[in-house]
Amino acid sequence: MRAIIAVFAGFLLLIGLANTFYSVNEYEQVILTQFGRPVSQPVNTPGLKARTPFIQKIHRFEKRFLEWDGDANQLPTKDKRFIWVDAYARWRITDPLLFFQRLRDERGAQTRLDDILDGETRNAIANHDLVEVIRSSNRKPFSEGIDSLDTGGVLDSIRVGRDAIRTEILAKAQSRTSDLGIEILDVQFKRINYVTEVQSKVYERMISERRRIADRFRSQGEGEASRIRGERERELKRIQSEAYRTAFEIMGKADAEASRIYADAFNRSAETRDFYEFIKTMETYPSALDSSSTLVLSTEGDFYKYLKGSGKR
Amino acid sequence: MTEGGFGRPHDPRRIDPRSFKIPGLGQGWRVLALAVVALALLFSSFYTVDPEQIGVVQRFGRYVRSSDPGLHLRLPLGIERVTKVPVQRQLKEEFGFRTLRSDIRSQFTTQGHEGESNMLTGDLNAAMVEWVVQYRIVDPYKYLFRVRAVQNTFRDISEAVMRKVIGDRTVNEVLTVGRSEVATLAEAGIRHLCDQYETGIKVDQVVLQDVNPPDQVKPSFNEVNQAQQEREKLINEAQSEYNKVIPRASGEAEQTIQQAQGYALDRVNRSRGDATRFLAVYEAYRQAPDVTRKRIYLETMGQLLPKVQRKVIVDDQLRSVLPLLNLEPAKRAAGGVK
Repeated sequence: MRAIIAVFAGFLLLIGLANTFYSVNEYEQVILTQFGRPVSQPVNTPGLKARTPFIQKIHRFEKRFLEWDGDANQLPTKDKRFIWVDAYARWRITDPLLFFQRLRDERGAQTRLDDILDGETRNAIANHDLVEVIRSSNRKPFSEGIDSLDTGGVLDSIRVGRDAIRTEILAKAQSRTSDLGIEILDVQFKRINYVTEVQSKVYERMISERRRIADRFRSQGEGEASRIRGERERELKRIQSEAYRTAFEIMGKADAEASRIYADAFNRSAETRDFYEFIKTMETYPSALDSSSTLVLSTEGDFYKYLKGSGKR
Repeated sequence: MTEGGFGRPHDPRRIDPRSFKIPGLGQGWRVLALAVVALALLFSSFYTVDPEQIGVVQRFGRYVRSSDPGLHLRLPLGIERVTKVPVQRQLKEEFGFRTLRSDIRSQFTTQGHEGESNMLTGDLNAAMVEWVVQYRIVDPYKYLFRVRAVQNTFRDISEAVMRKVIGDRTVNEVLTVGRSEVATLAEAGIRHLCDQYETGIKVDQVVLQDVNPPDQVKPSFNEVNQAQQEREKLINEAQSEYNKVIPRASGEAEQTIQQAQGYALDRVNRSRGDATRFLAVYEAYRQAPDVTRKRIYLETMGQLLPKVQRKVIVDDQLRSVLPLLNLEPAKRAAGGVK
């Protein structure tokens, strides 16, 4: 019987101890409530803590950064394009007491964040053109190395940009959550995309754009080939004509030279001229006459004069 | 609580003195229980940390120390708890695809992950971007205690940053020359946000995998490539034709010029020869002009006359005779006039 009492007492003691001491994790903060009413300051430090057993209730809250992942929403931009926007945020509980009073728990916080962030995102998107949400700077597209004609796309310049819109949403959301005991660290656009109907239109546009570029390439090739062919023709003519000219210049010079040499030799005096005439004539006869020629010769001539008699002289 | 051991009948009158000390338990069982408790205490006091890990020790939830790889002691019974974080291991996250089986020939799937890879470029076109982020946990404390759901956070960061970088580029840049720049910028961006969120993660590298136009648009992108090839082909063909013709023409031109030069040499040399010969002959002729002249004339006639078959010799003084001789030697040979 004594043993039973001892065991029972030990059991009670254990329960009492377990209800008095509790551990707070490194990433937790705790609020104690007494009959539903928060008592004292929130417990911010981790480790082994004590409370009044059975009366005080423990409410644990995260100290870490928590996620908020919005639903992908179909939103219109200022330039009337429908896009899906999927944003996320990181937030944490900075004032657990306030948080506990206003939002009770994380689920309540998520619902409130949905309202605030979705609304601010919608406003921001509706106030800006699509390109402002996509681009974040006015950088010039890098075109070196790409074929100079193949720019394909031009980057429209922007006035605000993705980061500024994001910061705007963040600032507004922060001001609206400041009295909820939470702090929003950051808001980012995770995904932005065209809605399906728009997407097929965009694809069609991309296809026609590519076709245009392809056509340009082809005609470029043909043009360039024609140019090379033309150059070939011109070059050919130039080379041939230059060779012709040079050759005939050389030959002409040689002819002139030869002429001069002949003249030098033949034209020394009346006698050389006469001798040349005679010699040349003699040289020409055999080649000027052949077997089909008919030669009429007179005995008065030098050659046949002896036919009439040799002693006549 | 009444048994004194299995298989041993309990006799209430004969009380075992040892059972007075711990009621309800026999000596053997007491030792066994103590041993079990001691063993449990011993084993829960030791823990090992693998070479690539760091052990983070919490006492009643409070962070007290980190332990390096090896065998370590801790307070047992759940007073000190250890979380092991693989700080040395390089981890990776895949976006737009998943590795199904890692092997020599790994298998990948992109099915169902188009949402991750489909993104808008700065010229409002679409591109499918697949990438891998390699990272390490450098600060286990932050990794465990500063951010909840670190992996999700990390994936969100990567997607947001990659879309931001892609959103500032044309589709051409993304698909071609801009790749390495995109990877570098994304790396910097992810690193910045990881620090800002205090994730304790350090990004080692962002590797762009396949970057493609959307499937529906792909054929037209290929068409562009084809057209580009076609252009090169046309140009090359024209160029090759050019190369085939022009050097030959140059050679031929050279030949023409050489021939002309040959002709020139020939002409000049011959004329020189002719002139010299003429002057030499003239020199000889001058010694005895009349005789030489006659000799040359007669020699020429001597060469000439045998060649000419039809010859008419006319004598002015022979008036009675028809001054005609052998006009048609061919007819006579055929047997006409004899």
